[in-house]
Amino acid sequence: MNGSGSIETPSGTPVIELRGVARTYSTGRLEVAALRGIDLDVMPGDFLAVVGPSGSGKSTLMNIIGCLDRPTAGTYTLAGTNVEELDDDDLARVRSRAIGFVFQSFNLLPRTSALENVATPLLYQGVGRAERLARAKAALETLGLGDRLDHEPTELSGGQQQRVAIARALVTRPALVLADEPTGNLDSASGTEVLRLLHELNEEGTTIVLITHDSDVAVAARRSIHVRDGRFVA
Amino acid sequence: MSLRELVGLALSRLGTSRLRAVLTMLGIIIGVASIVALVAVAQGATSGITSRIAGLGTNLLTVTPGSTTQGFVRTAAGTATTLTMDDATALAKVQGVAALAPQVQSQAIVVAGSQNTTTSVVGTTSAYPSVRAYTMWQGSFLTDLSVSAALRVAVLGATTADDLGLGAQSIGHDVLVGGIPFRVIGIFQPKGSAVGNQDDEVVIPITTAQRYFVAGTNVRAIGISVASSDLIQLTKARLTSVLEQRHGTSGTNDDFTIGDQSQLLETFSSVTGTLSLLLGGIAAISLIVGGIGIMNIMLVSVRERTREIGIRKAIGARRRDILLQFLVEALVISVLGGLIGIVLGVAVSALIGTLAGWGFVFNPLTVVVAVGFSLVVGVVFGVWPARQAARLDPIAALHYE
Repeated sequence: MNGSGSIETPSGTPVIELRGVARTYSTGRLEVAALRGIDLDVMPGDFLAVVGPSGSGKSTLMNIIGCLDRPTAGTYTLAGTNVEELDDDDLARVRSRAIGFVFQSFNLLPRTSALENVATPLLYQGVGRAERLARAKAALETLGLGDRLDHEPTELSGGQQQRVAIARALVTRPALVLADEPTGNLDSASGTEVLRLLHELNEEGTTIVLITHDSDVAVAARRSIHVRDGRFVA
Repeated sequence: MSLRELVGLALSRLGTSRLRAVLTMLGIIIGVASIVALVAVAQGATSGITSRIAGLGTNLLTVTPGSTTQGFVRTAAGTATTLTMDDATALAKVQGVAALAPQVQSQAIVVAGSQNTTTSVVGTTSAYPSVRAYTMWQGSFLTDLSVSAALRVAVLGATTADDLGLGAQSIGHDVLVGGIPFRVIGIFQPKGSAVGNQDDEVVIPITTAQRYFVAGTNVRAIGISVASSDLIQLTKARLTSVLEQRHGTSGTNDDFTIGDQSQLLETFSSVTGTLSLLLGGIAAISLIVGGIGIMNIMLVSVRERTREIGIRKAIGARRRDILLQFLVEALVISVLGGLIGIVLGVAVSALIGTLAGWGFVFNPLTVVVAVGFSLVVGVVFGVWPARQAARLDPIAALHYE
């Protein structure tokens, strides 16, 4: 991964390339436009914050960037792959290989140890069990959770759970880490810690897109863009 | 994902809710146990009955007199007195007859010392043991000489000897049969009973019986052992035509009946058939009910784990991965249930076999069939919930509360 990227001197091809992306939901006779023509480039090594209030379309944008959803118009190219042409299984494969998710509510698998949680994305890549566990252990140790491998989510604090979730996002060495309100459910100390971790990861070269409603959180990023009513605003 | 990993995932998942897993398996357990017991009971009963019917006599045909018509009243079968010793002599020459023993029968009180019992007195010839499949425990059976000389000698059935308190040391001693002294020359091995008690009788020469216990030279029955089982029907036809010739009858007015064991077998197999049908019904119903139970629990499980499915999809699970995860979980439940059912079924059939006395017949094929059935139930009732899970929209699933 190219770690030298910044807004002043973008290098290589963009990780994310959105061109005129729109997303319309049909609910009965009503057509609701959640995104109305978004253009966005995210270069390798970038740390972008997408800021907007609820209802602004930032969640829809995150779903599309995360390949959980598809645009109704425009094109989305992720790490050189045009997502438009992919079916559901191909999207799953893209999520598996190119994206690591960090959610507001952690979304760890219940009744499953931290180690197994972190190893699960590798399961869907077809990595053998021994290698899965070794890589998961390494990722957890990197995040300072080497002594919490066998703990289940309910036995961990919120901050620890979010660190497990970050380890799970990183274990596949994705081109992009997508963090959706990662500090939303944390106290301010744990939240600061998580943001510091994301900052460190970015320093080491990981491309990060952070979605938040909180301008204070967005400060942690290299640059931020604001969304309102499905459009970018200055 | 390899099958091993899928099974491991399913097992660890089921391990977190063991009671629920076992309750879900209950229907399959009962269904499979019924199948296993059904097969074992049907096989055990069949082999038990076949060997007992063979115990009545090898390839046995029994000629009995028919009924007579007195005035306009047809009397009961066997009451006619049309079968004679001469008939027996003639039938003995028919091709295919290996051994033949005419017999007459009466009831008498038998006394040995201070013990007494009422039993049937059978008068017959030396061929009786080979026709009726008796073997000697002590002493020897009647000889042709003792029959032609009408000696007062007796061979006792095992039960009769037991009732009278007679054993090996009693050979050569006298018992009173209907008040007449008879010398005991032998005691039979016990046969066990298929129809009536064949071990409760006193066997004496037919000539002696005709002198003391029954009037005339009529015989009550003629037992015939056919040389081989494929000759039974042919020999039966030959015997019929010989007797018809001798009695001047034909088909419609025959005054005798020739019975074979196939009728007996049919009666027994209809009983085991009914039993099989009953157990088969139970098995089918419990497998269906068990399958529905599995489907129900899997649907609940999919609902409960919607968020988990969303997470798995977000971190890279394809539809196929989710489908297989839930399908394998259903299969693991049904196959585990099937295995428990096999153990239970084997225990039940061993118990039934012991109680019924035919022992325990275990057919490894039933394990294959039972596991096969549980797999089919697992797939049939597990596919739909698994498809529901696989089709969930990841975004909706992630935000499901």
